[in-house]
Amino acid sequence: MLLTKKSPSILRDVATGRPTTEASSRFVQSLSRGLSNALPTMDRRLFLRRSGLGIGVGLAATQLSLVKKAQAATPGEVTSTRNIQVKRTVCTHCSVGCAVDAVVENGIWVRQNPVFDSPINLGAHCAKGAALREHGHGEHRLRYPMKLINGKYERISWETALSEISSRMLDLRKASGPDSVYIVGSSKHNNEQSYLLRKWASFWGSNNCDHQARICHSTTVAGVANTWGYGAMTNSFNDMQNSKCALYIGSNAAEAHPVSMLHMLHSKETGCKMIVVDPRFTRTAAKADEYIRLRSGSDIPFLFGMLYHIFKNGWEDKKYINDRVYGMDKIKAEVLAKWTPDKVEEACGVPEARVYMAAEMMAKNRPSTVVWCMGQTQHTTGNAIVRASCILQLALGNIGVSGGGTNIFRGHDNVQGATDVGPNPDSLPGYYGLAEGSWKHFSKAWGVDFEWLKGRYASPAMMSKPGITVSRWIDGVLEKNEFIDQDSNLRGVFFWGHSPNSQTRGLEMKRAMDKLDLLVVVDPYPSATASMAAMPGKPEDLNPNRAVYLLPAATQFETSGSVTASNRSLQWREKVIEPLWESRTDHMIMYQLAEKLGFAKELVKNVKMQKVKGMDEPVPEDILREINKSCWSIGYTGQSPERLKAHMRSMHLFDVKTLRSKGGKDKLSGYDTTGDYFGLPWPCYGTPELKHPGTPNLYDTSRHVMDGGGNFRANFGVEKDGVNLLAEDGSHSKGADITTGYPEFDHLLMKKLGWWNELTDSEKALADGKNWKTDNSGGIQRVVMQNHGCYPFGNAKARAVVWNFPDAIPQHREPLYGNRPDMIAKYPTHEDKKTFWRLPTLYKSLQDKNVADKVHEKFPFVMTSGRLVEYEGGGEETRSNPWLAELQQEMFIEINPKSAAEKGIRNGDRAWVSTPTGARLNVQAMVTERVGPDTVFMPFHFSGHWQGADMLAYYPKGAAPLVRGEAINTGTTYGYDAVTMMQETKTSVCNFEKA
Amino acid sequence: MARMKFVCDAERCIECNGCVTACKNEHEVPWGVNRRRVVTLNDGVAGEKSISVACMHCSDAPCMAVCPVNCFYRTDEGVVLHDKDICIGCGYCSYACPFGAPQFPSTGTFGVRGKMDKCTFCAGGPEANGSEEEFEKYGRNRLAEGKLPICAEMCSTKALLGGDGDVIADIFRQRVVQRGKGAEVWGWGTAYGSKQAGQPPQGAKS
Amino acid sequence: QAPAAPSTPAAPLATTIGGIQSQSIYQVRPDASQEPGYANQTNAERHKVQPGNNAPIWRQEGGGITGLSSLPVSQAPEAGNLIQRFVQYPGSRLTNAGSAWREVRNQWLIPYGSALLGITVLALAIFFFSRGTIMTHGKDTGRKIERFTPFERAAHWSNAIAFLALALSGIFMAFGKFFLLPILGGAVFGWITWLLKTMHNFAGPVFAVSLVIVFVTFVRDNIPEKADLNWLLKGGGMFGGEEPASQRFNAGEKIVFWSGVTFLGLVVISSGFVLDKILPFLVYERATMQIANMIHLIATVLMMCMFTAHIYLGTIGMQGAYKGMRSGYVDETWAKEHHATWFDDVKAGRIPAQRSKLPSEKTAAVPLKSSPQA
Ligand SMILES: Nc1nc2c(c(=O)[nH]1)N[C@H]1C(S)=C(S)[C@@H](COP(=O)(O)OP(=O)(O)OC[C@H]3O[C@@H](n4cnc5c(=O)[nH]c(N)nc54)[C@H](O)[C@@H]3O)O[C@H]1N2
Ligand SMILES: Nc1nc2c(c(=O)[nH]1)N[C@H]1C(S)=C(S)[C@@H](COP(=O)(O)OP(=O)(O)OC[C@H]3O[C@@H](n4cnc5c(=O)[nH]c(N)nc54)[C@H](O)[C@@H]3O)O[C@H]1N2
Ligand code: HEM
Ligand code: HEM
Ligand code: SF4
Ligand code: SF4
Ligand code: SF4
Ligand code: SF4
Ligand code: SF4
Ligand SMILES: [Mo]
Repeated sequence: MLLTKKSPSILRDVATGRPTTEASSRFVQSLSRGLSNALPTMDRRLFLRRSGLGIGVGLAATQLSLVKKAQAATPGEVTSTRNIQVKRTVCTHCSVGCAVDAVVENGIWVRQNPVFDSPINLGAHCAKGAALREHGHGEHRLRYPMKLINGKYERISWETALSEISSRMLDLRKASGPDSVYIVGSSKHNNEQSYLLRKWASFWGSNNCDHQARICHSTTVAGVANTWGYGAMTNSFNDMQNSKCALYIGSNAAEAHPVSMLHMLHSKETGCKMIVVDPRFTRTAAKADEYIRLRSGSDIPFLFGMLYHIFKNGWEDKKYINDRVYGMDKIKAEVLAKWTPDKVEEACGVPEARVYMAAEMMAKNRPSTVVWCMGQTQHTTGNAIVRASCILQLALGNIGVSGGGTNIFRGHDNVQGATDVGPNPDSLPGYYGLAEGSWKHFSKAWGVDFEWLKGRYASPAMMSKPGITVSRWIDGVLEKNEFIDQDSNLRGVFFWGHSPNSQTRGLEMKRAMDKLDLLVVVDPYPSATASMAAMPGKPEDLNPNRAVYLLPAATQFETSGSVTASNRSLQWREKVIEPLWESRTDHMIMYQLAEKLGFAKELVKNVKMQKVKGMDEPVPEDILREINKSCWSIGYTGQSPERLKAHMRSMHLFDVKTLRSKGGKDKLSGYDTTGDYFGLPWPCYGTPELKHPGTPNLYDTSRHVMDGGGNFRANFGVEKDGVNLLAEDGSHSKGADITTGYPEFDHLLMKKLGWWNELTDSEKALADGKNWKTDNSGGIQRVVMQNHGCYPFGNAKARAVVWNFPDAIPQHREPLYGNRPDMIAKYPTHEDKKTFWRLPTLYKSLQDKNVADKVHEKFPFVMTSGRLVEYEGGGEETRSNPWLAELQQEMFIEINPKSAAEKGIRNGDRAWVSTPTGARLNVQAMVTERVGPDTVFMPFHFSGHWQGADMLAYYPKGAAPLVRGEAINTGTTYGYDAVTMMQETKTSVCNFEKA
Repeated sequence: MARMKFVCDAERCIECNGCVTACKNEHEVPWGVNRRRVVTLNDGVAGEKSISVACMHCSDAPCMAVCPVNCFYRTDEGVVLHDKDICIGCGYCSYACPFGAPQFPSTGTFGVRGKMDKCTFCAGGPEANGSEEEFEKYGRNRLAEGKLPICAEMCSTKALLGGDGDVIADIFRQRVVQRGKGAEVWGWGTAYGSKQAGQPPQGAKS
Repeated sequence: QAPAAPSTPAAPLATTIGGIQSQSIYQVRPDASQEPGYANQTNAERHKVQPGNNAPIWRQEGGGITGLSSLPVSQAPEAGNLIQRFVQYPGSRLTNAGSAWREVRNQWLIPYGSALLGITVLALAIFFFSRGTIMTHGKDTGRKIERFTPFERAAHWSNAIAFLALALSGIFMAFGKFFLLPILGGAVFGWITWLLKTMHNFAGPVFAVSLVIVFVTFVRDNIPEKADLNWLLKGGGMFGGEEPASQRFNAGEKIVFWSGVTFLGLVVISSGFVLDKILPFLVYERATMQIANMIHLIATVLMMCMFTAHIYLGTIGMQGAYKGMRSGYVDETWAKEHHATWFDDVKAGRIPAQRSKLPSEKTAAVPLKSSPQA
């Protein structure tokens, strides 16, 4: 009895006469555009035609009729009773920036559709992106404000919460000054919220704010910006389709940026070679042509080992180096003298032949690109490692070249944006430093009096002093007061979209949490912090006056705003649903707290209010406009909300390989996208009216600046010790009027060049006395670019030698906790620092002590950590999502079979992992060749177990995630980058035994 | 008439589980039921390959052959579906299926399993196309909506192809030619020993 | 060596596409297949000489294709298995276990099992129509011997009822779709079968328990004796002649007891327990289930055949037997004719005629009263 019920005749019957809803016809439009021809994959339309289904046949017209709520579908009902909308948003789980169409029916997120039109992801998603809709349910979220009372979280009203928090803040301010409160901001906030939070912190009167970028790519940002101008991914995922060779060193893109692999694997099929250098044989390595295992933390020896062969064989791009690079001669001398193959092998464990192979592949298959991520950044030497990678690319002439570049894969969905315009302790939005000039620039942009702003701070000195970093807030609490470079210790902390288990030294964090007067967690999933705070610690640490509040924040699907993907493209998220339960958006919370703290008016001077759930909320578009009007330095000025929204609606117009619009207007607004690059990747200089197309690949001299071309930035003067720092003659972006190197533009240079009069009178009024970054008219940028084809920030050389860094030439230094005292003797770390980001910071003394204490004997295994594809960050969000949680239910440790055998551990056994901090973690053993015998790896996404005990009892009721496990950062050790205070999470030590 | 097939390109699959959660999301599949899963071979060593597997909608389906109540049926597109109203939850299909596709909501004692659930090729079940009953029991009926399986549509690397066997074979062939090597498509033939797997699974040593 | 070919000729093909050299051509060694040990390379080794040639993976026929899945083993023990391992069950080809099991079940057990059952029923029918019920020759004496105590009867009947339920539901599961489905239609058949199957799952353990009791109760009188040989040699008197003398149970019954009740019963129960997933120490992988099913099916079919005969004899096949099991009492004539030795023992007082305690000693007549008049 074989049924054939689903015959096409039935399909046609159902289809006939069915009216098409407006929303669905829009989707059908998007259907009609299949996957790009560039990717040999299926085109749905063609596919359907060939498969005999045909487009528009069957229920195609009603694919939005949500089966879930559908009555036995009779035509007519589809349109009459249902309110179906499609909202375009962007995945919040990593920086790839995959677009998602959320289907919302009567305010409920009922379905998730792939956006084939997105040039970034072509409809593709990894596990996290494909499971996004769960956010619309949020069953494990915090539902209302709570307060810790007698060890239990109890529900309170928003009003109570906001008044109590603000009055406690004001008390702290009175007693200990504004710097006693620390704000851990978030890279999960959209640009508008991050920007507003930096403003909020400033109006509160402190630079003590930070966010995930510190513990993510801070070393990249600092190292790379100091090399050539901007500390960001130079090219894009898409552009990797133009590469002929890709070196992944310290990136596990297959798990951390899965959809980027769509482009890479395609590229590979058209001939690109792929090399992976990693202490682990990762899922990315499994896809590579060559895999090279190196010792964790030894990237500099490896990279310089490659350079050794490049120089030896004359593979470097000599003309490029001459024209565009400063200091390569010094590097060459150092490399040839110091990094001979034997030294390289000794330091990183890679034999000469393998290093040579990698060098040759990269040199002979140009343009070649380097990809890195946390494997390079999260080290005490992170700043130097990333610069070594830059130097490699400069030597090969790969920067500013399509298919080349340093493709630095960023982390959180908006870590790029939050770094660009968000709560950084050492800069204002747009990387404006903390100097008075910047403050004045922003006072103007914010429409507040500079003197008032100054008065908010403890002192002018504190106003220009970078704040404490998120990696060290615990020391801001625990350090002896006399050693810290601010009046008071930290007494109040906001966790505003950040997990606790992502920072190292968990045992000490627990103590710090207990010592606080005020802990506020603003998060849709605040429970990791909440449980850690509620868990009883040492009685002597507990501050009897401590107050802990949990505020339910809305997710990014419950608000709108822009988000900057790794490739610097901005995308606009539409609001999918209203904030669930009692949650409120972050910018609403900022505004409401500001009301209580007395600076609400100032906070939203340029911003209109809209009603959300009957309450005032600042309008995101207006905040973006304020960003557009102030962040000239990085070209966040051209991305008006209108342009971004037009791009989102017209994704199909953009080419997958170049990201450039093939021409065409946005139907709704009539905006002509012709020439634009998708998402107007910053810098998108000038006002929106200038219509700069955005910059797909940074520093690309083969294009005109108005086509997204450019050159290296003049940011470090015009000469150093008599050596020219500007680009050599003839090296400039295409069509530039100035064919030599030139400095950055200001009103004086404009006048000198006789270009001043090309500014309009109103522009002149604003631009006088200003430079390209502070001219609020945008006139200088306009004239320089549009009229003269020049780059506002000048045309200089990239610096292979960064003289203002601790190691002008990148030096290999061993980590503070290592298992190789012999190597520590040869490559010791830095000297201790007395005040560094307001705190004393240990290097040499601790490293020496560790060697003296023979830590390497007690803890002989290198402990490294990283990501699993299913979970994100601290993981509370993703571990609360059943579709993801089911896929990874156990915290585990990867152990090589050899070391496992020595310890008598078999696959699946429980193991105790101990670290030098005294922490003991109970985890499952995963015996695998993935790691070498002297290395172990653990994912860092777990929390909820504390040294073997389940913390379930300490969670706010109903808000515990589905899967809990031991957090590796409970056991991670001390160690910070010598420039940015990046925490060392990639190279530490541990020991383990069978449990 | 088109014959619907899946093919997973092991050269592309990165074990990101996107296909798995896409399926869960689209059909609201409960915890414990995995219509699709990803298997990694040679995990952690050179030659590691991942393959996403669900029901392969076999031509001569073992599940269908052993079902005591004949609740399986095949659509004109070659999709193997079943009727949960008839299913007795005996588990035989899962013993017979080479791929472990059939799933059961519970693994209770006394062999009580509940009604079998498996990948429907996003084609629903015997109920009226697009009806609520169909959704409750089988998830969405994308084929009837003129769409292809969500798992393949969302696959992060387009490793997973689902659709008309001829078309996906074409797509795949194109990739193989571009790669210039005889990469094996992992698909239906592998289990049954047909030449589709690139090379026959038995006897021959290559 | 021949099948290696597909991976090598690809090289010239690819170079023609836009002159793009793809990775494999860059490194593939076309002659790699000539190397010793090529055929036995692991996928990792193969990748070094021929990247992208995954043939070794697909060729793990012996072990099936098993890898790693992140799903916990406790929840999904076989999630890491891509294709069931290749096996050759008796009667199947060498193919993946699922298909092999299907072949055995569908090509052997179901058709031949049903045939056997059919033949048994047919044979009994023929026997019945040609020979009729075996009647008691003499006249009933009216004197009753208690053949089965209430306890024995309770044990027997609960066992018998469970068996009937199991057999009925088992038949639905195994053979129903061939003769009932077309009659009842999918929905009704499915619904009934679901009901029966669920009942089967629960009746199984009941059967198991009662079978143990039955065994214990009846084992004493089923110990084979010399006389049984005689009984057997004479064919139990089935084919003419007097029924040879037997003890309480004759050799035929003893055979049923040992081979049917005990041996097949054990096999059926243990395989049934596996299918029921109630043995705590087992991991219920598909292979386990397949084997258990095949054993169960074979044993149950044999058991059903055997007990069809038993039931035949216990009902229409032999006059008086059924009543003996229903009421517990048989007439002396019946006892003398069918179990002469036992009758002698009762008469001699070696076995009491009344073994169970009567509900109340005041009326010894109770058994007489309730005893059926034959
Ligand atoms: N699924 C998922 N995706 C994510 C995230 C997530 O949490 N989950 N987070 C996002 C964020 S915030 C970020 S920053 C990115 C991070 O993305 P990645 O940096 O790619 O991910 P990690 O796993 O942290 O580390 C990458 C690799 O570095 C290796 N490594 C360790 N030590 C060294 C070393 O000394 N040298 C070299 N060369 N390699 C080393 C590790 O073995 C690991 O394989 O991912 C983003 N995407
Ligand atoms: N050992 C080890 N430690 C590491 C790393 C490592 O590789 N190894 N990686 C480091 C890196 S690169 C990073 S980026 C960090 C990541 O670590 P975190 O960023 O701390 O981890 P997440 O859990 O992603 O934290 C984001 C929080 O923001 C919340 N959130 C999401 N959306 C919103 C919103 O709209 N508003 C608000 N208010 N909250 C929101 C989420 O619920 C979540 O609690 O971890 C670092 N720690
Ligand atoms: C002696 C009487 C029994 C008979 C005649 C019998 C018969 C059958 C038959 C014919 C099948 C179907 C096999 C197939 O279609 O392949 C079956 C299945 C099964 N039997 Fe029995 N069986 C008996 C006893 C038991 C016992 C004692 C148990 C458990 C303790 C049991 C548990 C099962 C189970 C679990 C199945 C699998 C079907 C399912 O789970 O739905 N059976 N039986
Ligand atoms: C409807 C089904 C059945 C009927 C009508 C039936 C009938 C009978 C009858 C009449 C007797 C008495 C024979 C005598 O007096 O010697 C008997 C004995 C017996 N029956 Fe059944 N029976 C049935 C099912 C079963 C089943 C399923 C089993 C066990 C699996 C079983 C086990 C026995 C045993 C053990 C004896 C005692 C004889 C011996 O031990 O050899 N019967 N049955
Ligand atoms: S997590 Fe990253 S790769 Fe995955 S869907 Fe989201 S944005 Fe895309
Ligand atoms: S894969 Fe399994 S469930 Fe699917 S049709 Fe084949 S045998 Fe049946
Ligand atoms: S579980 Fe259901 S579908 Fe599978 S064989 Fe049994 S009755 Fe058929
Ligand atoms: S085809 Fe549909 S039902 Fe089958 S695995 Fe894919 S998403 Fe799930
Ligand atoms: S989504 Fe694609 S790449 Fe990811 S696991 Fe599934 S098949 Fe593989
Ligand atoms: Mo990050």
